[in-house]
Amino acid sequence: MKMFASWRNKSVGPTVSSDMMSKQRRYNSLVKALHADIFRYAYWLCGDKHVAEDITQETFLRAWRALDSLKDDKAAKAWLITILRRENARRFERKQFDYADIEQDTLEDSQGNSSEELVEQYLIRRHIAKLDMEYREPLLLQLIGGFSGDEIAELMELNRNTVMTRLFRARSQLKDLLEKTDVRGQSNG
Amino acid sequence: MDELKFRRQAYEDPHNQDPEFLAQMRQKSEHQTLVNELKGLDAKLMHALKVDVPEDLADKLILRQQLQQHHKYRRQTSFLVAMAASIAFVVGISFSLLRLGPVDLAEHALAHVYHEDIALHIDQNVNVNQVNAQLASIKNLGNVKFTQQPGKVYFTSYCDFQGVKSLHLVVQGQQGKVTLFIVPVEKRMVLDQTFADSKYQGIGFETAEVFILLVGEELSDLRYVKEEINNTFI
Repeated sequence: MKMFASWRNKSVGPTVSSDMMSKQRRYNSLVKALHADIFRYAYWLCGDKHVAEDITQETFLRAWRALDSLKDDKAAKAWLITILRRENARRFERKQFDYADIEQDTLEDSQGNSSEELVEQYLIRRHIAKLDMEYREPLLLQLIGGFSGDEIAELMELNRNTVMTRLFRARSQLKDLLEKTDVRGQSNG
Repeated sequence: MDELKFRRQAYEDPHNQDPEFLAQMRQKSEHQTLVNELKGLDAKLMHALKVDVPEDLADKLILRQQLQQHHKYRRQTSFLVAMAASIAFVVGISFSLLRLGPVDLAEHALAHVYHEDIALHIDQNVNVNQVNAQLASIKNLGNVKFTQQPGKVYFTSYCDFQGVKSLHLVVQGQQGKVTLFIVPVEKRMVLDQTFADSKYQGIGFETAEVFILLVGEELSDLRYVKEEINNTFI
């Protein structure tokens, strides 16, 4: 036994542990750089902070296990989002939620200052949350992910025209909704 | 680019940097206004999308991964321990199987004499019937027996020749005592005609069903006992 242990430590140990170290460093930087975007993306997919945190945890654990398959660190974000989307779909298989019905009651927090800004931000968040998932997701990928139309098409396995149409509809719906509430707000006030 | 296409592109991505799109934007002030509005909308959306991230999330993500890694390492370690244990087990089995290799009877006979020193110092005054009874109980020995008392028998006992049950006798030679081993014939056994070390002489011979080994201090005693056995043992 002692012989095996020392053999392991001497010849295999250092390379294994240095591989482990660099993998660990890579993972840590991935977490630091991307955890906020991943969490926010998850949040806007599911509408619940706790569920979003769970999905984020699961996404990063899966990412760790498969980290060797990520060749290009520039593709890390798209890679993580692919894992996240699969994770989210799995959650849907387990439990059927209708997210349109979920009131986004955790929306109170805000980085805005004035109460007017707060109100506006609250409204915008409600509108985003109510947006159909098929319109919401390409918009999230574009705004949070910073992906181009082609990249979104690839991620969502849709053709580019479909993606662009959905982006168009997402923005026009949001714009209309905000203008309406503005008008209503003014007429009420 | 027509009006509709421009509007579509503006809604698809107000930050579009395509030269054709930018040129179209500059053509009309309404175009510029629309793009600016949509850029303003995007800024608001971006701001709204930035929900607060739990402060310790990054630490949690690293911690959970490291816990999982730790468990995995533990599993690997126990796998290695199990591996080493089974290798040790196989090695152990192989060694005991190797014992089935050729057995040098002469060497064992001498070792046995030294080991059971007491056999040369006691007098049980054994009767030939007792010896025959013991012979009969040994497997693979056929129907060998003594037809009459082979001189005085001091000691009798079963003994083990590398897993083969045998009979260990001490009988009276011409002058000194002679140790006599009766071993069932087995292929893997190697029998030397004569053998010796610094103290003892030995001779070995084979009958139809058994190996017989004699060990004593004097060769003359051995010859005497061999003669005795030839006359009394069948």
